[in-house]
Amino acid sequence: MRRYRTAVLGASMLALLISACSAGGSSTSPSASEAARPAVTVGSEGFDESQLLAEIYAQALEAHGYTVARQDFASRKLALPAFDNGDINLLPEYIGSLLRELGSMPGGNALGPATGDTDETMTNLAAALEPKDQSVLDAAPAQDGDGFVVRQETADQLSLVTMSDLAEVADQLTWGLPLECSDNPSCGPGLKEVYGIDIATLRVENLTACSGEMATALNEGDDQSGIGVAELCTTQADIERFNFVLLQDDKKLIPAQNVAPVVRNDLLDAAPDDFETILNGVSAKLTTDELTKLNVQVSVNQESIEDVAAQWLADQGLVT
Amino acid sequence: MDFPGEVVSWFAAPEQWSGGNSIPVHLLGHLALSGFALLGGLLIALPIGIAIGHTGRGAFLAIAMANVGRAIPSIAILGIVFPISLRLHLGFGFVPTLIALIALAIPPIVTNTYAALREVDRDLVEAGRGMGMSEVQLLARVELPVGVGLLLAGIRTAAVQVVATASLGAVISADCLGYFVLKGIATQDRAQIFAGALMIAGLSLLTERLFGALQRRVVSPGLRVTRAAGPSDASA
Amino acid sequence: MTSEEPFIRWDWIVANLDDIGERTWEHIVMTVIAVAVGFLLSFTLSLLIVRWRRLYAPVIGASGLLYSIPSLGLFALLIPLTGVTLLTAEIALVSYTLLILVRNIVAGFDGVPREVLEAARGMGYGPWQLLWRVQLPLALPTIVAGLRIATVTTVGLVAVTALIGQSNLGSLIIQRGIRASFPTAILVGAFGSVLLGVVADLGFLGLQRLLTPWARARSG
Repeated sequence: MRRYRTAVLGASMLALLISACSAGGSSTSPSASEAARPAVTVGSEGFDESQLLAEIYAQALEAHGYTVARQDFASRKLALPAFDNGDINLLPEYIGSLLRELGSMPGGNALGPATGDTDETMTNLAAALEPKDQSVLDAAPAQDGDGFVVRQETADQLSLVTMSDLAEVADQLTWGLPLECSDNPSCGPGLKEVYGIDIATLRVENLTACSGEMATALNEGDDQSGIGVAELCTTQADIERFNFVLLQDDKKLIPAQNVAPVVRNDLLDAAPDDFETILNGVSAKLTTDELTKLNVQVSVNQESIEDVAAQWLADQGLVT
Repeated sequence: MDFPGEVVSWFAAPEQWSGGNSIPVHLLGHLALSGFALLGGLLIALPIGIAIGHTGRGAFLAIAMANVGRAIPSIAILGIVFPISLRLHLGFGFVPTLIALIALAIPPIVTNTYAALREVDRDLVEAGRGMGMSEVQLLARVELPVGVGLLLAGIRTAAVQVVATASLGAVISADCLGYFVLKGIATQDRAQIFAGALMIAGLSLLTERLFGALQRRVVSPGLRVTRAAGPSDASA
Repeated sequence: MTSEEPFIRWDWIVANLDDIGERTWEHIVMTVIAVAVGFLLSFTLSLLIVRWRRLYAPVIGASGLLYSIPSLGLFALLIPLTGVTLLTAEIALVSYTLLILVRNIVAGFDGVPREVLEAARGMGYGPWQLLWRVQLPLALPTIVAGLRIATVTTVGLVAVTALIGQSNLGSLIIQRGIRASFPTAILVGAFGSVLLGVVADLGFLGLQRLLTPWARARSG
């Protein structure tokens, strides 16, 4: 990763040098948009999918002449301050949890809520970002939020299709829930309010949500051991890989979690119009199914993120 | 409220003392993990340490493997045993954590048992042989009693290490005091993190003191001579 | 992993040798920093203890306390102060070396026979000369033995710092391995750690042998 960054840095230095040299003396005067492509630094938040999204947006921009550097952070808690102070100026995000995160910060109670409705959440998010001189671009159809998952056999045995179905048999299964569940509105409090599931009355094993351990505990489990319900992420590769059943969130507990890039306004203003067009074009083609397939390629087949991103962009016709 | 006050009120809160995630449940789980791990470590490491200490053979390999065992990251053992344990219906966090802890306990016990037996004056051993003692009698009547101090030091080290590291089990949902540390991290509750760390450190210290007292009681007064510590003495 | 997937993906290992190499190097660097700083601290403390014996109990007690605080707890307590950084990870790693090193360095100095010290003093050696020419050389084998154990132990502990985002063999184990249900990465990370441990152990063993030609004669 570091070597990659150095190469890109070197390339961008070279590009800058070349453009500086050619700006004055070239016979064909470059159009204003070609000469003024600002440098982009895209951030990611430590996990595979985040890095994949960053890579996809980055390569799409690079194909159109932008110079893009990547910077990875261990978590959103570290990426956001860097975004605020300009170390990174582009950040692929999830609209629901980002809005909730902003709402939990000081002064955040005035913000609109993250709801199950994409448009409403987008409006509230845009309003939240405006005072910080940041914007959110078009949301992709792809959503990656928390989801509750069971084994195929369990779904067949107990006829489980939706969360409401699960609520009726909740105490018959062992649940895999993260330690922060009791504090997270999308988990403990939400489950109780929306579906009437009280986690305090359930058999619970504490594992990290959306993790390999959680998926393994579900996959290796059965009636006597392991877990019967797991909290995974809706585009997690393990769902396909282990043939799990994702229960439908029929009463909309989980907020809209569309993927959308957030960008600093100074980058937006400095960039030519194709900047937004490129990114929105990418987002338009990103569906939940597509994203899950990409995750399988990265997590299960262990293909490199760069390759997977490049292949997908080419297949979608986004890099011509 | 000031921080110490927060920690005290955390301990005082009734929910910490009842229910599935209470202090007693995790304390018991922690003790069970540590106790069984130490036992398992002793069962494996003592025979090896005694064998190589008494005969002097195979020492290099055994000690080398024991030393190198310290470099195995416990969390890797957790990660590998976890799916196996589930598949074998051996339950959740207890078995993988137990195995990782046993692996942790073995190196200090092997190393110190070996050193303890090697430190015994060869003249004593020869005298014993001359008196017609069998190898087993030599071990039981001469070598072990003389070397017991260092041997117990090894067990003590292993015990403290095990008690401290048992908290890692919380990552895979084992009942142990590490639960409070992780829960505190997840809910950004510093008082809880501190309380968890405090309990683990306290238990560790108690273990250290307990074995120290055992050492003082068991080691014969005639042996409590400060002798020159040599390189083979390196206790961890 | 499903029953169809192979347990070890050798092709992954070959394809990712670069990354594995980088993680190994980072692992080495973190270990060296921890042991070096730990040694400096422990050595200083030990000299003080040799001078003022009363300090032994409190220093060992404090190091023992630090040793018994689980790494996760130590991280959690340090993070508000020092952030999710290399510094936090190193503070924890260094504190875990103190107990082993102080105990061994003091034992090393204690092991210098009284008669030798007396003789040297009789020959007019001042305190510094005593330290450099007599105590240190005689204590060196035990000190090196302590360094050996501290280093190998630290190699094993570095992996857990990946839980707070540090990049080393632990990231292979945790992020690429456990979190991704990918056993190959766990095994590669663990094996790499053990290999580093072997190298360190043999290195220090060689050093020990080198420094004590006289001890070889009396090995029983």
